[in-house]
Amino acid sequence: MNEQAPLESRVITVTSGKGGVGKTTLTANVGTALAQLGRKVVVVDGDIGLRNLDLVMGLEHRIVYDIVDYVEGRCRLRQALIRDKRAPELFLLPAAQTRDKTAINPQQMVLVCDELRQEFEFILIDSPAGIEQGFQNALAPADVVLVVINPEVSSVRDADRVIGLAESQGKQQIYLVINRVVPVRVKKQEMLSVDDITEVLSTEIIGIVPEDEAILSASNRGTPVVCNGKGPAALAYRDIARRLNGEQVPLEAPQSLGWLQRLFGR
Amino acid sequence: MEALNRLFTKSNSAQIAKQRLQTMLTYDRLEIPPGMLTLIKDDIVAVISQRVSVDREHVNVNLLHEQDSSKLVVDIPLIVGRGARTLRSAGAPGAR
Repeated sequence: MNEQAPLESRVITVTSGKGGVGKTTLTANVGTALAQLGRKVVVVDGDIGLRNLDLVMGLEHRIVYDIVDYVEGRCRLRQALIRDKRAPELFLLPAAQTRDKTAINPQQMVLVCDELRQEFEFILIDSPAGIEQGFQNALAPADVVLVVINPEVSSVRDADRVIGLAESQGKQQIYLVINRVVPVRVKKQEMLSVDDITEVLSTEIIGIVPEDEAILSASNRGTPVVCNGKGPAALAYRDIARRLNGEQVPLEAPQSLGWLQRLFGR
Repeated sequence: MEALNRLFTKSNSAQIAKQRLQTMLTYDRLEIPPGMLTLIKDDIVAVISQRVSVDREHVNVNLLHEQDSSKLVVDIPLIVGRGARTLRSAGAPGAR
């Protein structure tokens, strides 16, 4: 695994427009999964003032300096980076909690990412909700934009807006992640299907993550599900990481299991 | 009609969501508020009415969205008066 050729560094911004759709969880899990694949990864919390990526990853007690401290010259970049020992090369660059989104501007974010590119193959930025400066900061350095949506009307509408804004900034690699899919409800036609969403947004899909109870207990513990989980969300996050890592992994809409399959665990 | 549809497709709310989204996103992408359609309809009727009689009750202006394109579909029924009818029957070939 370690013998794979090094990759040209890429900045991947995780965004959505709407809040609460699973950006932070996705960033934590896909970042961790990429590091498990042997890549050098840093996850950056772009949500200044409302930081949470540290909490979801269980690294909150180790924060001394943050991204604003670095930008304002109070520390070196190395000092602000927190190593996550669960993978060989995984780091977190935390957001400041006591400042607001205007503490950093898009040009500064581009400079920070240029620094990070020297050391890392994957730089994942967890964008804040909304389309204001925090989002603009996260978008500016992006090579790849992952738009997280839930199969629900307000989330899809906001995603369309975000995709439009990313395109207007010249971003060409924009992919959708459909999060919290409940196959049984899709089957009953109570929930938008993957096909419905593809048709409405005409954007390529890079991942479909089923609703999974394991996510809540994982964030309760501060341990992303990809660390040891075997449930549907963990599998889906790992697949997304493998696709970002250049592997061909077929994309399948999750199926609802029959009672027999459920009984015998597939 | 919509109420009737809803009655018979009670559980199929995904389809409703999809249709509502397609309509809403068409407006979002065109950057016009949905109420603009009524104004456009009034404008069109006003222009056409200068030349012919329009059946205002049944004018229909709709946004149609297809895979990659949107179009304005305008259906304007005209009021065909006695004069016009006479003209047509007189001009028809083989009319006696």
